[in-house]
Amino acid sequence: MYQYNQIDQTLVDERVEQFRDQTRRFLTGELPEDEFSALRLMNGLYIQRQAPMLRVAVPYGLLSSMQVRKLADIARTYDRGYGHFTTRTNIQFNWPELASVPDILAELAQVQMHAIQTSGNCIRNTTTDPYAGVAANELEDPRPYCEIIRQWSTLHPEFAYLPRKFKIAVTGATEDRAASQVHDIGLQLVQDAEGETGFEVLVGGGLGRTPIIGKSIRKFLPKQHLLSYLDAILRVYNLKGRRDNKYKARIKILVEALGPDEFRRLVEEEWAHIRDGELTLTDAEIARARSFFTLPDYDASAASAKVQASLSASLESDIEFNAWYRHNTVAHRVYGYRIAIVSLKPYLEAPGDITDVQMDAVADLADRYSFGEIRATHHQNLVLTDVREGDLYAVWQALAANNLARANIGTLTDMIVCPGFDFCSLANARTLNISDQINQHFDDMDHLYDLGEIRLNMSGCINACAHHHVADIGILGVDKKGEDWYQISLGGSSKEDARLGKILGRSVPASDVALTVEKILTVYVDQRREDESFAQVVQRVGIKPFKERVYATAH
Amino acid sequence: MPLLINQRIVTDDPWQLLDQAALGEGSSVPENGPVAVPLTWYQQHWEALQQRNSPLGVIVNGDDDLTALYADHSQLDLVAIEFPTFRDGRGFSIARQLVRSGFNQQIRALGHVTRDRLALMQSSGFNAFDISDEGFHTDHLQAFSEISVNYQGTTADPRPAFSQRT
Repeated sequence: MYQYNQIDQTLVDERVEQFRDQTRRFLTGELPEDEFSALRLMNGLYIQRQAPMLRVAVPYGLLSSMQVRKLADIARTYDRGYGHFTTRTNIQFNWPELASVPDILAELAQVQMHAIQTSGNCIRNTTTDPYAGVAANELEDPRPYCEIIRQWSTLHPEFAYLPRKFKIAVTGATEDRAASQVHDIGLQLVQDAEGETGFEVLVGGGLGRTPIIGKSIRKFLPKQHLLSYLDAILRVYNLKGRRDNKYKARIKILVEALGPDEFRRLVEEEWAHIRDGELTLTDAEIARARSFFTLPDYDASAASAKVQASLSASLESDIEFNAWYRHNTVAHRVYGYRIAIVSLKPYLEAPGDITDVQMDAVADLADRYSFGEIRATHHQNLVLTDVREGDLYAVWQALAANNLARANIGTLTDMIVCPGFDFCSLANARTLNISDQINQHFDDMDHLYDLGEIRLNMSGCINACAHHHVADIGILGVDKKGEDWYQISLGGSSKEDARLGKILGRSVPASDVALTVEKILTVYVDQRREDESFAQVVQRVGIKPFKERVYATAH
Repeated sequence: MPLLINQRIVTDDPWQLLDQAALGEGSSVPENGPVAVPLTWYQQHWEALQQRNSPLGVIVNGDDDLTALYADHSQLDLVAIEFPTFRDGRGFSIARQLVRSGFNQQIRALGHVTRDRLALMQSSGFNAFDISDEGFHTDHLQAFSEISVNYQGTTADPRPAFSQRT
């Protein structure tokens, strides 16, 4: 993974001291609250319902075991012993003291981490495919480009006060696991006819109040022009994006208002001034970025007959391991290895939460079995990308001992859920109680496996942090006269076939959410042909049969 | 209004900045001395202003059409860019485009010019900062050097960090 040089380290160290001084000036009354608010947000610090919340950046989801141990230590020392992984693959601490935040940032800087631009109206953490570098059907590893974007976007002097937040995702495989079509900018690695690598550039995707799928404004951008083109897009947005209404300030609104063709024209006009200029990436710089993401030293004997036999024996003798292997591991590019997913969706725990003890356990496993690296995923789980098949049983046992091996990846209970009203000051409704309710209602794993792959995402307000618009089943919490109600939508996707879900009908009360989900799934089971997935059935039959079942009057 | 130029406090600012309100009330442009007027007023009164034998400047903001300014600023010695609110960041991009268009005289930040944005403004092309009295402390001068490295390149050295390495 990327290793800081002197520039990177100096920047985070000096940023810590800068923020320490800003905090001091705020606490002594020297710095007005509204100014400190913008400054602290650009350092990931929110003031939430219960306490401040600090969001720490995990660039493109990649962590070393040393970093995870540091996060565990911070959770123990400065928080209440846990953290929460988000859909932007960052980690949030819910209970730090405002005055101790500079110290937390100093601790993070010791392990090449920071909280820069995890909030605020600036360029946020760039995200990518959690299986980058090991995924099948990958054109090229997107992480070197993510790192190049990270550096360009970090403390960019011109783009620190954008009209609104700005999110970039990069994907390099045929399957889009980075939700690139619902980002302000989605970059998809492509090749031209000559075999040169470049990017298809999508702009103006996003969820929130106005969910929109991104529009392609350039089919092929040669890779050396990556930064100058991003610079041009950001400059057009910074100058022309709306600032009169924060709900209409995202780039998607500008792209819709101008139309993608006019927006493209403005970007190309701006780009004409700067292309082939200082921002042009050199082959040396791309090679340097790539040099940090080389293949690990894979064990040539990992696929030996002896290992295979031992794995087969474990799979036959241990039914729970077998289920975990089937649901929580994924094929690896290298024979003899598998990708192992650490489920942060245990029974009746907040999705995405992880304790200090669990973090230490995952760090130990990464050191012992997966080259010391861990990925955080958009789905709020963790991944050990390079586990020898012969080690899977031991990894599973250790994960199970730490309540991290629930074999539910890809199933209904592998939900993306925002913290909701229990923590977030923006939320309208609670989410964690509903996630418990669904878990209790669907506690039969065989039933979950029979239902197959289903993405359920639940947001506690219209800001859609949990991406409910692009789920097979999306749940949105709404406030009706002081009570929590839940609006359900069906048929969304954030993958290469990205589409927005359709709202089923009027919202349901908190007590009926799991029951409603059950009715929806009954329709699926009734309608499915052979091994059709939930998503395929919704696409084929539409939402009408689901609507009829859910809102049928009782007889 | 403390004015910072080259990271130093300037006490003898020769410029008079006349905003739309001052000009609208009929106060005429003084015969002598450097003056800056709003861009639209400058464009309307260009011929009369040329008769004066003193330096001229314009005041611009994000709502102005700056195409003509970028095309020809040969008669100007100062461009003042307004930051109407703390959260309005258009001025950063205007300064960047102005420098790119070849303007190499004074680029002055006006309005919500605060300590924690001085370094960002300087990197984007500003070389003069008009700070309100109540918002000013002498330790503002430290703000320029709080972060000593940058990835992006600045007006002073436009090379991003990656090309400085080679």
